[in-house]
Amino acid sequence: MTGDDPGPLIRLFGLTGGRARPQGEMFDLVAIVTTVGGSYEPADLIPEHRAVLWLCRRPTPVADVAAHLKLPINITRVILGDLRREGLVTIERPRPVAQTIDERIYREVLHGLRSL
Amino acid sequence: MDYAASEPGTTAVASALAIKILIAGGFGVGKTTMVGTISEIRPLHTEELLSERGIGVDDTSGVEAKVTTTVALDFGRITIRQGLWLYLFGTPGQDRFWFMWDELALGALGAVVLADTRRLQDCFPAVDYFEQRGIPFVVGVNCFDGARRYDPAKVRRALGLSETIPIVLCDVRERESVKNVLTTLVTYAVEGV
Repeated sequence: MTGDDPGPLIRLFGLTGGRARPQGEMFDLVAIVTTVGGSYEPADLIPEHRAVLWLCRRPTPVADVAAHLKLPINITRVILGDLRREGLVTIERPRPVAQTIDERIYREVLHGLRSL
Repeated sequence: MDYAASEPGTTAVASALAIKILIAGGFGVGKTTMVGTISEIRPLHTEELLSERGIGVDDTSGVEAKVTTTVALDFGRITIRQGLWLYLFGTPGQDRFWFMWDELALGALGAVVLADTRRLQDCFPAVDYFEQRGIPFVVGVNCFDGARRYDPAKVRRALGLSETIPIVLCDVRERESVKNVLTTLVTYAVEGV
């Protein structure tokens, strides 16, 4: 992204209309994105939108979506925010750590790590 | 514009959970290596595009401040089971990206602060950061040459760590060693629940 070639930046600008933040509620780097099953898919979706809808048929964290699209995370977020607004994906709401990671999860994680 | 109240499709998805663990420490201490050693995927590399908001006070005054830069973010993944993942994030090294730490740290299970005994001072900022925010962390002393000649008690004193914070000698190139660091962290974090 450094250097004199403005190409990548212009492309990113085109993807987001220059927006730096997604529409609606902010979501975490590892919030789970899920394509809404059976939702009507507009014919004029850009390739990045299609790629997300395909990938997130299985619930997928935001960071993985960004890596898959090979796009910066905040650009990915704008794209995801747009898809959410269209009702095409759901994005997990932020929850305090105490609500998400309980003792059972800790045990599962420990067990999983030990058996790697 | 605020659409939050009427946003369609924001219901929580309870069936899948991704948990963050941060790998912090000074530049070149082995953060990316550690992620790569344990990740089931090649560490994914993404870039966060920053506007001038992210640039600190080091901008020359009088110069147009609308600079765009990127900060690289490396992360790896461990699948615990279907629908439960651990994500390891190597935190950006430079202090001017603190605001990204805030985002990474939010909701994180905990952190590993990697330390190089030749440059212990490099991990002071990370230790301070996690202490101040009450985020569980362990210190991993990366023994590059494999020699176990470092005294954890000395490291503890030098870093001013309380007795409760685990210090683990490790070699971030060794899978079993990284597993040991991570299980130590999770065991330590669960005590605080």
